Amino acid sequence: MNINFPLDWFFIAILFFTGAYCMIVSRNIIKLLIGFEIISKSATIAMITAGQATNNMALAQSVIIVMIMVEAIVIASGLALVVKSYRLNGSIDIKKLMNLKG
Amino acid sequence: MIFYLLIYFIIVVAAAMAIMSKKLLNSAVMLALLSIGISILLFAYNAPWAAVFELSVCAGLITVLFISAVSLVKNDEDALKEKRVKYTVFPLMLVGFAVIASIFVPEYFANLFQFASFNPSNNPPLGDMIWLYRGFDIIGQITLLAASIFVIKHIFTKETKNEH
Repeated sequence: MNINFPLDWFFIAILFFTGAYCMIVSRNIIKLLIGFEIISKSATIAMITAGQATNNMALAQSVIIVMIMVEAIVIASGLALVVKSYRLNGSIDIKKLMNLKG
Repeated sequence: MIFYLLIYFIIVVAAAMAIMSKKLLNSAVMLALLSIGISILLFAYNAPWAAVFELSVCAGLITVLFISAVSLVKNDEDALKEKRVKYTVFPLMLVGFAVIASIFVPEYFANLFQFASFNPSNNPPLGDMIWLYRGFDIIGQITLLAASIFVIKHIFTKETKNEH
């Protein structure tokens, strides 16, 4: 039995707030991806504590492995887009992507 | 209990430093520290496979990807000048959120914990879970990997003169 369950979720909420704040206020695309990564980490902790609470660690671990893989793919694609956008616009500002035409 | 609190403290401080630091390289390094803290936490929760994946993929591969992207985006300070005020007020907002969350969150999840079902009989080992029960996840992962390779190949395709 996991006695830390409420404490875990307190820290999960703090991590989620940190990532969400970064994604809301930042205009830098790399910072946005870092915020996304922090939110994914909070989801990872949430998954493992839920697995511990329901005593089903194998399912939790398999879901976490899939999640980590998806996270890596999203980050790789996003960073590739950032580098391409920097080469085209000379900036990593998210607002520069607003003037896409056609 | 003190061990968990120490790990969570490292995780939260690393996350806060990752978004507050001025240089993107420091942010990437702090993100790696965050991943290392989470993998230690996963080891402590008796989830060694997830911890190894977290350590190798998130602390290794994603950090390398971030550092290479930051090095490709030269002069990130020149590329984008942001106001630092929104990052300097972040610790105050984090403390405020923590105070509010400490009032509501633990109480709610202590109630929620009562609904967790304990059924240890139906709990197969991890290998069976991945290969037998969730085999489609493996196909989904392979499809996603192929999709990301296609995305990166098409983003960085070499332009030829005949196209224009």
